[in-house]
Formats: sequence, C-alpha cells, structure tokens
Amino acid sequence: MEQLVKFIPLFPLIGFAIIGLANRRLSKGVTGVLATGSVLASFAIAVIIFMNRLGGDGQAVTVTLFDWITAGNFSAKFSFLVDNLSTMFLLVITGVGTLIHLYSIGYMHDDDGFRRFMSYLNLFIFFMLLLVLGDNYLVMFIGWEGVGLCSYLLIGFWFKNIDYSSAAKKAFVMNRIGDLGLLLGVLLIFTATGSVTYDSVFAQAANITIPVVTTATILLFIGAMGKSAQIPLYTWLPDAMAGPTPVSALIHAATMVTAGVYMVARSSVLYMMAPISMDFVAWTGVITALFAASIGFAQTDIKKVLAYSTVSQLGFMFAALGVGAFTAGVFHVVTHAFFKALLFLGAGSVIHAMHHEQDIRNMGGLAKKLPITHATFLLGFLAIIGFPFFSGFYSKDEIIIQALAHKPIIGYLLIFGALMTAFYMSRLYFLTFMGKFRGTEEQQHHLHESPLSMTVPLMVLAVLSVAGGYLLQGYMEHNLTLGAAVTASTEIEEHTLHGLHNVMWGVTAAAIVMAVIAYVLYVVKGQRPSSDADMKGLEKTIYNKYYVDELYESLITKPLNSISSFLSNWIDINVIDRLVNGTGGGINALSGQLRLTQSGNTGFYIVAMVLGMALLVAITVFM
Amino acid sequence: MNELLTLTGLGLFSMIAEIFNFRKAIFPVIVLGLLGLLGLCYMDWGSYNSTVTHFSMMKVDNFSIAFTSVLTATALFWFMMSRSFFEDQTSMSDHFSLVLFALTGAFCLTSFTNITMLFLGVEVLSLPVYVLTGSRKRDVASNEASFKYFLMGSFASAVFLFGTAFIYGATGSFNLENIATYLSTQPQLSPLFLVGLLLMLSAMAFKVGAAPFHFWTPDVYEGAPTIVTAFMSTIVKTAAVAAFFRLFYLSFSGIHGEYADIIWAMAALTMVVGNVIAAAQNNVKRILAYSSVGHAGFMLITILVMNDFAAKSLLYYTAAYSAAGIAAFLVLYLVGSANNGETPLNAFDGLVKRNPIMAGTMTMALLSMAGIPPLAGFFAKYFIFVSAVENGYIGLVVIAILSSLVGVYYYFKIIIAMFFGKPDNLPTYFLTPIHRFLLLFVAAIIVLTGLFPDFVMGLMTI
Repeated sequence: MEQLVKFIPLFPLIGFAIIGLANRRLSKGVTGVLATGSVLASFAIAVIIFMNRLGGDGQAVTVTLFDWITAGNFSAKFSFLVDNLSTMFLLVITGVGTLIHLYSIGYMHDDDGFRRFMSYLNLFIFFMLLLVLGDNYLVMFIGWEGVGLCSYLLIGFWFKNIDYSSAAKKAFVMNRIGDLGLLLGVLLIFTATGSVTYDSVFAQAANITIPVVTTATILLFIGAMGKSAQIPLYTWLPDAMAGPTPVSALIHAATMVTAGVYMVARSSVLYMMAPISMDFVAWTGVITALFAASIGFAQTDIKKVLAYSTVSQLGFMFAALGVGAFTAGVFHVVTHAFFKALLFLGAGSVIHAMHHEQDIRNMGGLAKKLPITHATFLLGFLAIIGFPFFSGFYSKDEIIIQALAHKPIIGYLLIFGALMTAFYMSRLYFLTFMGKFRGTEEQQHHLHESPLSMTVPLMVLAVLSVAGGYLLQGYMEHNLTLGAAVTASTEIEEHTLHGLHNVMWGVTAAAIVMAVIAYVLYVVKGQRPSSDADMKGLEKTIYNKYYVDELYESLITKPLNSISSFLSNWIDINVIDRLVNGTGGGINALSGQLRLTQSGNTGFYIVAMVLGMALLVAITVFM
Repeated sequence: MNELLTLTGLGLFSMIAEIFNFRKAIFPVIVLGLLGLLGLCYMDWGSYNSTVTHFSMMKVDNFSIAFTSVLTATALFWFMMSRSFFEDQTSMSDHFSLVLFALTGAFCLTSFTNITMLFLGVEVLSLPVYVLTGSRKRDVASNEASFKYFLMGSFASAVFLFGTAFIYGATGSFNLENIATYLSTQPQLSPLFLVGLLLMLSAMAFKVGAAPFHFWTPDVYEGAPTIVTAFMSTIVKTAAVAAFFRLFYLSFSGIHGEYADIIWAMAALTMVVGNVIAAAQNNVKRILAYSSVGHAGFMLITILVMNDFAAKSLLYYTAAYSAAGIAAFLVLYLVGSANNGETPLNAFDGLVKRNPIMAGTMTMALLSMAGIPPLAGFFAKYFIFVSAVENGYIGLVVIAILSSLVGVYYYFKIIIAMFFGKPDNLPTYFLTPIHRFLLLFVAAIIVLTGLFPDFVMGLMTI
C-alpha cells in the first residue's frame, strides 16, 4: 500500500504544471477546483496509507522511484521513506493544505494574480512533500530549497509593493544563511559516513566521533534556525506577513516553518549522541520562546502578533526536541498546525471584513458582526493558551512535563512562556472581538461575514483544534518512537510524571488567570494600546521589536556593504579584472601562435604524424 | 548481432529502392527501421551472456548494446536533420545507403573481439565517410577535404595494419582474448609487441582526432558539407572512441603501465590544443571542429582510467556530446544554408530575435558542451573527472578543468553573438515541422539526461 506514496507529491506537481502553463486560459473556478482537488487527492492517499499502517506492523517502508546519481562511491536514490513520522507530516501538510487552498479560493478571488497564487501554493505543497518524504538528506534538501523558493515567491506575491518585495528578499537571504549551515551539515555527515541516506547514516552513527557528530548536528540546526525562525535568524518571519494571509497560515505557521522541527526529529539518532547540541537546541528554543512572546505583548498588527506567537511556539517545539522529547515536539507541530492555521485564517477573515485593516487598535467588538469567525477564533485561542482538553493543552503540557523531568530550568522558563502566551493571545482576542468597535464609520458599515469557502475551513480547523490533541495523544505516545534508544536509559519514574501532571493543572489554572487579567484590562477597563506617537519607554522598545532589525543593520549589513564596495571598486578593477583580462589575452596570443600549425598542407600533417609516432616510440623505449 | 543484420538489410533496401525508383519510401522506412533497431537494443539489453562470441570475431555484451543504442539514436536524429539536405541532391539513396553502411561499420566497432573485425569496422565506417565528405561535387573545398581525409586516413590505416602485423608477430593471434592471455603470461614484453602497440595506439588516436594526430580534423570538418560534419563529429567520433576503449579494455589493460603516460600526455595535449586554438577562430564551423578535438581529449581520460566506471562515463559523455552536436550542427546547417554555406560568427548575430527556437536550442547545446550545470555536458565532464581523481590523475584533471574554462570563452562568443548581436540585414528562418520537433526534442534530451544521468549510465554494466 505504501507504494501509493509516489502519487502524493505527483498531484500537486501536476496541478502546478497545468495551472502554471494554462494560466489565463483556465477560468478562476476551474483553477480553484484543480488546485484544491490535487491537494485533496494527495490527502486521500495519505489517509489511505495512514489507515493501512494503523492496522499493519508500522514498519518503515522505502519506496524508490529511480536511481538518481551514482558517481564514484557516492550514490543517491530518489526514494521516499514512509514511516510514522513522515505519515504524520503528510496528513498535516495535505490536510491543512487542502483547507487553506479552499480558503484561498474565497480570499484571493478578486486578485488579478489568482491563478499564479494557486499554482505557487501547489508547487509549495509539492516541495514540502518532498522535504518530509525523502529517504535521504539530498531529497530533503531539494524540498528544503524548494519551499524556500515558494516562500519567497509568495511573500513577495504583491511584488509591486517595494516593502513586500524587500520582505521577500529578507526571508530569502536569512534562509540562505541557515541553508548554508544545513548544507555543510549534510556534507559533514556524508564525509563521516559515506552516505546521505537516513538508514545507513543512522546505522553508522555509532562510528562517528562525538566532536564530528556535535558539529554536524549544530550545523544542521543552523539550517533549522533559518527555516524555523529561531534566534538569531527569526526576523524574517514577522516581515513575511507581507504575503497574503493564506500563505501566512500555510507556509509561515502550519507547515514550512516546522520543517526544522521535522529535520531535527528525523535526525534524532544523531542529536541523542551529542549532548552539547541538545543543550544548544533546547536553550535556543526556550530563549526564542520567551523573547518572541515578549514582543507579542506590544504588537498592534493582528498578523504580527500571530507571527511572533508562531516564533514563540516554534521555540517551544525546539525546547522539547532539545530535552529529548522528540515526540512531544512533533505532537506540538501537529496541534500547532491546527490552531495556528485556524487563527491566521480567522485573522484573514477579519482583515477581509475590515477591508485590509490589520491594526487591532481599530478593531473591537467584531464578535457580533462575524459570528462564525469569532466562534472559531475563540476555539483556536483557547487551544493555544492550553485551555483544558483543547489540543494545545495536551501537546504543551507534554513538552513542559518532559522539560521539567529532564532539564528543570528549561521547564520553568517554558511555564513562564506559557503564561506570557496566555496573556498576549488574550489581549489579541479581546481587543479584536470584544468591547466597542473602534474603526471608521465606513468600515463598520461594510462589516460582513466571509463566504462559505472561507468559513468551512475555519470550522473544520476549529474542530481539529478542539479535538485533535485528545484524538492523537495516544497515537503519538505509542507510534512515534524517536530517539528511543537513548531515552530508555533515562526513563523517568512513573510517580514523578504523575506529580508533574498535577503541577500542570496549576499551570493551566494560572494561564486562565492570565486570560482573566487580560479580560479585566482590555474589556472591563477598556484599555487600548497607545498610538505610535504616544509610545514611551519599554512599550516603545518592545513595539519596535527591541530594535533587533536596526541592530543587524548596523552590525552586519553596513560593515558588509562597505567591505563589498571596497572589493568592487578597488580589488575587482585593479586585481581581478587585470588578472582575468591578462589570462584571456595570453590565451588569445597562444591561440594565434598555435593555429599556425594548422597550415592546410597535407604533407606537413603527415610529417607531423610520423614525428609524433617516432616521439612515442622514443619515449617508450628510452624512458 | 541482430542489430547488425537488420541495419545491413536496411542499407541494402535503400540501395535497391533507388534502383527501382521507390525514393519516396526510403526516408520513412529508414526512420522506422532505426526505431526498430532501438527496440532490438532494448530487447537484447542484459539478456546477452557475454561469453557468446560469433566465430571469435564479435561479442555482443552490454558495452556494445549501450553504444549501439547511442549510435542508433544519434543516427535517427541525424537522418531527421538531414532529410532536406539529401532531397536537394539528385540521388539520395546513394547517400542514404552509404550512411547506413557506415553505420554498420560503427556497430562493428562497438562489438569486435578480434583485430580483424576492428580493422574491417574502421574501414567500413571510413570509406563511405570519405565519399560523403566529397559529396558536394562542384565545391572545391569539399573535394579537397575529401581527398585530404582519404589520404591521411589511408596513411593511418597503413599504420594500423603495420601495428597489427607487429602484434601478430609477437603473439601469434588477432584474437583480443588470446592477446590478453599472452600478456598475462609474459614476464617480459617483447619490443616487437611494444612497437605494435604504439602504432595501433597512434592509428586509433588518428581516428578519434587526438593530438598530435588531429591535424586532419579541423580541415576536413570545415571542408565537408555541414551535415556530413555532424555525422563525423557525433557518430564517427562515438564509434571510434568506443573502439579505442574496447580494444584497450579487452586486450591491453594488463600492461596499463606501459602506455599510461603516453595516453596521459596525449589527452592533455589534445585538450589544450583543441580548446586553445578554438579560442582564436571566428568561424563557427571551425570553432566546433576544434572543440571536437578538445572533446576527444576529455574522452581519452576514460581510456587512461580504464575501469567500469570510466566505461559508463565514456558512454554518458558520448551521448551528451552527440545530443549537443546534433543540435549545434543542425542550427549551423540552417544558418549556413541561408548564407551561401558560410558560417562566420556574425551570421549568428541576434539569432534569438530571428528564430528563438534555433537560438534557444543552440544555447543549450553550447552550454552543455561548455559543461554548465545542470545540463548533460556538465555531468559528462564531472563523471570523467571523478573517475580520474579517484585513480590519482589529479594533474590531468587540473589541465582538463583549465581547458574547459577556455572552452567557456569561445562557446560564449557564439551565445553572445546570438543574444546581443544586431541582426541587421540577416534573414529570418522558418523551420520545417521536423526540424522544429528535432530542436525541441534534443534540447529536452540535453536537460533531462543532465537531471537524470543514471538513465544513460545504467545502460552500461560491463
């Protein structure tokens, strides 16, 4: 049954090809159906494979499409690896992907670039599927670069706006920095094991020395830092909100940004061998989680708040990976995909209703006008703050419990992060949907609920955000055994875990208290964030994201610019150019001389041949 | 073997069809016949037990089938490209049957196990090509090239026979297997054998156009009608270099140390001479002629390395080079025929505006020849370099890379002319459907074989 997996990436690729090539010759309706249908078909196959594996023995299966490159002792096959980890990602990518495609039909319907948009989305799904399906680092790398490209194309989708295209460039460049790390990591793994295929790399992992495996895993993680927006490479993600909202939901919340988590989880065998790398991952994750959450406190753009929340939640996932709770990290990827996609799509619905207004200072009281959006957003919001029995509750608890058990400091910091999340998400929710409307008369007049193609995905995602955690909890625990070899030795006593579960109820209660505080502040007292001009002190610093962008600008960009202008204005002209032109001139002169041998005289040619033969004989006999 | 018989039948058919005036049928029958040949290759591949020989003259193994497939596919493209050329001339069957018989010679060169068969193959391939080179009867250049080629070719054949005689004298056999056995049992090589080996090596170097035996190549390539040049630089070159490899692989690989330095020097000299002289040329046909000398140098590296991976790399190289060669020479032919047969660099000015398909495919072909990734030519060079580095020939790879850098220069001269030249007073082109199809198809092949090299490399499992 796993053989069917070949078709999963094929459908979106065909969808991309047809829509991309036919473009204007297809009506918008056909385009929408084709794009959504191709992802839906992939989803159907993913479900079949998943159900089939649920009944089977759960062994990993490799499906080879063809031998790709064989050169010397290097060989790479274009193969897919179907195991419980990749199947889980398949379901999320195609499932959430289908919903977001459907949503885009409504959201992007009036845009001139509708067909281009849908074709890019299909292409993205294709590359994302390659990324999680590849059975070696090379296929993963293709997917990795491909999603980066699609992300760039979609962030800059409205490329006529200079700010948007700079945001796209920024995302691209920051990802390149990470990608370099990833590439070096893969090359190092190849030199250490002679292979890039997961199976043989992990089989030989025991033979790699610890310093090498530590370096390799840190390099890989640098790749993850870029793609999954961790400190210090996170600044592109908030700017990436320039893209249309479905893009933010699909690429910059649910799927692409979790690629780093996937890659680290996939390489869990290597990470478990390198405690230093694990600490590095854990600390990067937790610091990012807290730092991004703190920025979330003072943002006023609805999508920016969600973007920082995404960065922060990704930090949670990496913290989980870093303490060895790979399963919990992947679990959080799945639940986060549900509720964060829901929140983004809800935000999109709000923006749609408000005629492209994104500032929450101008919103408020939307609950009555947008009942479906409001209800679903509320469920997503409860899921992210970890309200009991919602999906975020299960995965976040699991992360914090594991962290408390393995590295308590990380655990405490994560609890603090969870409380911060509860507060700033409540602030967002209350400012948007509760209280009085603060926008213009005209906006109020035009407020309307979104069409069905947009609200249906919201409802489906809301159901998943509520029930997804409960449903998947058992499956995750029993079927995803990542890094199991090592965890077994540090197995935690059952009663310790039980005690920690009780602690978590306290944390959950505290999170709800944070939400209540936010309610009092923003609804009862009617506080609202200051306008840009009135901001002072800490609020202003946070609102400006701690001036990190400016810091990067003066620390990195400016010195680089001056170095490169020196290189281009002096070194290039006086050294490189002369060298190049000199070589060219030399070759031309040599060529002019050599061509004289080609006299056209047959007699000379034959004499040359005879001399050549004589020379050969002379060399062989006398040397 | 079936391939050889079928092809001979096809050649006889087109000769007879001319006599009974069935000219219209010749072209379709040839195309179908060649497609059938490809089918035969497909069926035979892997099914041959490589111990079966035909009277100890020929052995059909995966090496021969792989090269036969490449030759057949190239021939198919070549016929599609040259149809109009032959229909301009009075008697096309003469040409068609000549080409088909030349091709049978090429087939022999991929499957021989006996020096007699090798010699027969070389002559059966060469004689028709001498005639084809002179097929523009009223053109002095064509006649001169034909005569020159014949004269020097005969000289090389004599050298070859001379060498064969020496080897026979030393070993008492023409059979490659027996020669290899003789070599493995002989503690000390007789000078007789060594001289014979060197003479055969020189003759084979002449056939592939390696320096210092390359002098005929630029003159003959330039003088011959462009269509015939295309045949020489793809099919003849592939067959010759495959024969060179097979001869040394089957019989002389045991005494590799004796001649390794010579091949090393020959490869280095060929790459440098071919590429450097090409840099100063301003005639596109002549640029391509010199570049084909340079490519022969790259292919020689596989004979130096001489292992299974080298055989695969050589197959891939010839396939990539033939594809690019067909495309480049077709465009050259089209440009030349609208320009009184002249092909100076400025005849390509602004070709992209005059015919984007021609300019696009030409660009792909030239980039592939220059070795720009991800096109086939890049991987072709890459695999050869990998095999050379693995066997310790790092110095040679450095020379090879430097000469391919020079190659980039002259290939880009043509590309720059096509894209940035001003197309004043130059004709626009209208492609026949068959040429349009061929150009697009070959361009696709150049890209696809580059992306999936194993589809070609996998053909060769010795």
